[in-house]
Amino acid sequence: MAECVKVCTQNFGKGAQDIEVYKKLGGYANISERLFNMSQFELIDYVQRSNLRGRGGAGFPTGMKWSFVPRNSGKPVYIVVNADEGEGGTFKDHFLMLEDPHRLIEGLIIAAWALGSRAAYIYCRGEFLPCIEALNKALNQAYAAGYLGENIMGTKFSFDIFVHRGAGAYICGEETALINSLEGQKGQPRLKPPFPAVCGAWKSPTCVNNVETIMALPWILQHDPSEYAKMGTPRAGGTKVFCISGDVKNPGVYEAPLGTPMMTMINDYAGGVVGGKLKAVLPGGSSCAPLTAEEAAVATMDYECLASMKTMFGSGAMIVINDTHNMVDLLNCLGNFYSHESCGQCTPCREGTGLLHRILNQMVAGNGHDGDVELMQSLSGGFGGVTICPLSISLGGPVSSYTAKFRADFDEYIAKNPEHAKPRIQETSRPGIFW
Amino acid sequence: MSNYYNMPKLPTEASPKVEIFVDDKAVMVPGDTNLLEALKAVGIETPHVCYHPYLPVSGNCRQCLVEQEGPRGRMLVISCYTPVTPGMKIYTPASSARVKNARKATQEFMLVNHPLDCPICDKAGECTLQENFMEAGQNESRMRPEYGKNYHGNPEHQFIDAKGQLRGGKHVDIGPRILLDEERCVQCDRCVRFMRSIAKDEQLQLAGRADHTYITTFPGEKLDHEYDLCVTDVCPTGAMTAKYFRFQKRVWLLAHTPTISMDDSLGANIWLDHADGRIYRVMPRCNPEVNRSWLSNTSRLAFQQFDKNRLPSIDVSAIQISGGKVALVAGGACTNEDLAALKMLKETLGDRAELFGGSLLKVGAPDGIAKSGDPVANREGLKLMGFADVAELLKRAGEFSNLITVNADLYGEDAAAAKALDKISNRIALSAFDDATAKKAKVAFGIRHWSEVQGTMVNSLNILQKLSAAPTCPDEKLAPAYEVISALAGNKFGSACEAFKKAREYVPAFADITYDAIKSTGKLLGGNA
Repeated sequence: MAECVKVCTQNFGKGAQDIEVYKKLGGYANISERLFNMSQFELIDYVQRSNLRGRGGAGFPTGMKWSFVPRNSGKPVYIVVNADEGEGGTFKDHFLMLEDPHRLIEGLIIAAWALGSRAAYIYCRGEFLPCIEALNKALNQAYAAGYLGENIMGTKFSFDIFVHRGAGAYICGEETALINSLEGQKGQPRLKPPFPAVCGAWKSPTCVNNVETIMALPWILQHDPSEYAKMGTPRAGGTKVFCISGDVKNPGVYEAPLGTPMMTMINDYAGGVVGGKLKAVLPGGSSCAPLTAEEAAVATMDYECLASMKTMFGSGAMIVINDTHNMVDLLNCLGNFYSHESCGQCTPCREGTGLLHRILNQMVAGNGHDGDVELMQSLSGGFGGVTICPLSISLGGPVSSYTAKFRADFDEYIAKNPEHAKPRIQETSRPGIFW
Repeated sequence: MSNYYNMPKLPTEASPKVEIFVDDKAVMVPGDTNLLEALKAVGIETPHVCYHPYLPVSGNCRQCLVEQEGPRGRMLVISCYTPVTPGMKIYTPASSARVKNARKATQEFMLVNHPLDCPICDKAGECTLQENFMEAGQNESRMRPEYGKNYHGNPEHQFIDAKGQLRGGKHVDIGPRILLDEERCVQCDRCVRFMRSIAKDEQLQLAGRADHTYITTFPGEKLDHEYDLCVTDVCPTGAMTAKYFRFQKRVWLLAHTPTISMDDSLGANIWLDHADGRIYRVMPRCNPEVNRSWLSNTSRLAFQQFDKNRLPSIDVSAIQISGGKVALVAGGACTNEDLAALKMLKETLGDRAELFGGSLLKVGAPDGIAKSGDPVANREGLKLMGFADVAELLKRAGEFSNLITVNADLYGEDAAAAKALDKISNRIALSAFDDATAKKAKVAFGIRHWSEVQGTMVNSLNILQKLSAAPTCPDEKLAPAYEVISALAGNKFGSACEAFKKAREYVPAFADITYDAIKSTGKLLGGNA
């Protein structure tokens, strides 16, 4: 395992929660004449050259996202940090905010300068109480040190950061649902367009970025953007904070360059698979399609390779599964999660996720029937691209991929029902076509 | 939670026409609207549940999917939120199996947790789900009983039925006029949007999420608003039902008469739904210029009094006008035809007769939805015909010795002010109801109510609107007011059409309008339309 440059996790375990320690480690060096002499366009161009892509899951180029925010719209520009980390298997933002809250603040000041923003909101998941405490403590220190508030460092630039505590809904990680929740409405995704970059929080241009994206900015500004771009793949620069969980020896948060082979991540970083042989890997959180052991052997951890394998890079949350597990149990667990977390807006997701969960529940309880798998595949086919947000596909995708790749597990469960071949009973004899 | 500000843009006659390609065929559609309305304009109906032309787009039912050719290939989009752009390529189920399957899948999801109790549901027959099922649904259920249903409902109202299935709340009393059936609800949130965007009083909310979402009011509060019965109209299923109409009549047995509500000068367009010679309910009739799809509870529930306390018909010869001056008073619910007949009577009587019109009720402020606040429905008609205000009559009551009131319950409206009329000795009341004025009159003559006559009225927006007669008159011998009055004048009108011809002579604004040419949505007077 080659030692890699640490971008976001360099201060881990060094007590950087305190501003003095953080400054000694080189923090807030960016908040200087150099930053305030750069124009907004220079800074956005800088970020664009670094090839930084959003770390929240969708992987949208950050510089491009910023360039969509209209200038001179007569409305304030808001920056919203998406710290509502809810995806199954993802816990990087939690540790990033807990270990290095000042880096997030420094990154936000840079982003605010680039976007001409006056205020930022950190929408933090409600359960992350220690994070919220750490952030608030760091904010107080930053205000006291003059990095935030009115006329930062004697310039005309003023900037405020507020920490908003969410109520723990998974869907509020979707940016428009997050904005709705921030505004005090029910956390349900909005119809797009208009996109938040044009009409977001309080109908103003809003830029929603992930914690990790913002935390990469100080390093990029300190070094040359090409240095950051060099670390990753041609289409996505830099390092990524991976969270590895499941059946590995050392689950945890690891920073590695993009494009690291998956088996290196599992064997070298996380200490290898324990409790059995490798069966499957979920490369980007619970909602992505799993890779079998054979596929994992050739996969690299970057956007393009995983997309070509019909799964996704997502938030870089690897869940490693050994061969003692049955995939039906896993899928049932996902069904439980997504049917509970659906916001209840679009019909296919609202009714469909619950139905899939009930079918899986019956299967796990030993009441599976022949044809259940086909029915589930057909139902999840009805999710594809027809809802406002991708939550329905977060369950629909796994249902189709689990059933396609691990069909034997499903058949095993269905065979437990002695009457599994019994056809569906027509409750009434129907003389006409529909009753 | 939909944006509350994205109201759909509806096509008008002035909309520019653009060319789009539907199923590879070029068609001209209105260019400034959404795809759903554009397709409707060329005769392609798209099944939908949550979309309503006068409510903000929510886009949550996903029933109106079509395929659109885009830079990334053919994508499924919801037609209610996709603006029409020139040259766009659209595929409907007629050519695209993908759209057909997607709609079918949505329809299946829609019914997964729906009780399917159509035989005992009040909405059956006019239910959007039923229509969509026939249009886009599939015929055979794929569910097994062991999957069960997860009925939507407030946990407080849920119960376990005889089969052991957990059910949602039935006939939940959410307000003085409305009952809610929680498990029939499909969470389209039309009622929520209506209360928020139209009634401007957020009394309803969707609580919970996923398949335990349910409609509710705030704790301890009731749904109580002047327009709350409109939520039963917008409700696509039998979830919201009006208490007054519940289990009264199967909707397919009702006949519909389009007419105008004559208790307000906006003249809300309504349907009188009747069967067996009585009105069962009043529904708003869509008129984009007047009341859109809304109707106030007052106008809607007024019909319950239409057949009560009626005056009997008597012979016209009972009406005797003595010597001296005659005051002819027209009430607010008089049609233009009644007014024309009164004017003709004045001409017959000569200078000793004078025309008055209006009521003693206070004029309120318009509410911006479906009421102008003015209880004199045909105020503009009275002005056009040159009727003086009733207040004038009260001042000069001493001059008159005859009073003929037509549908004008002056004593009932303001008994103290109407005392001045006691000076007039020969009081004759032509009225549908045995009201205070009829009781005080020397002769009380029964006539038809406005719901039972044909005619026209001019509303506060200066739109000439047409009334139709519902066959609900309790006594066939009752005649419309214009017939009785014109008979008194010695030139009996045989029909409303004939009476309107007379009105054209009196009012220049009517000059080039024929009775039959007035559309169901009315005709703007003095305008270009």
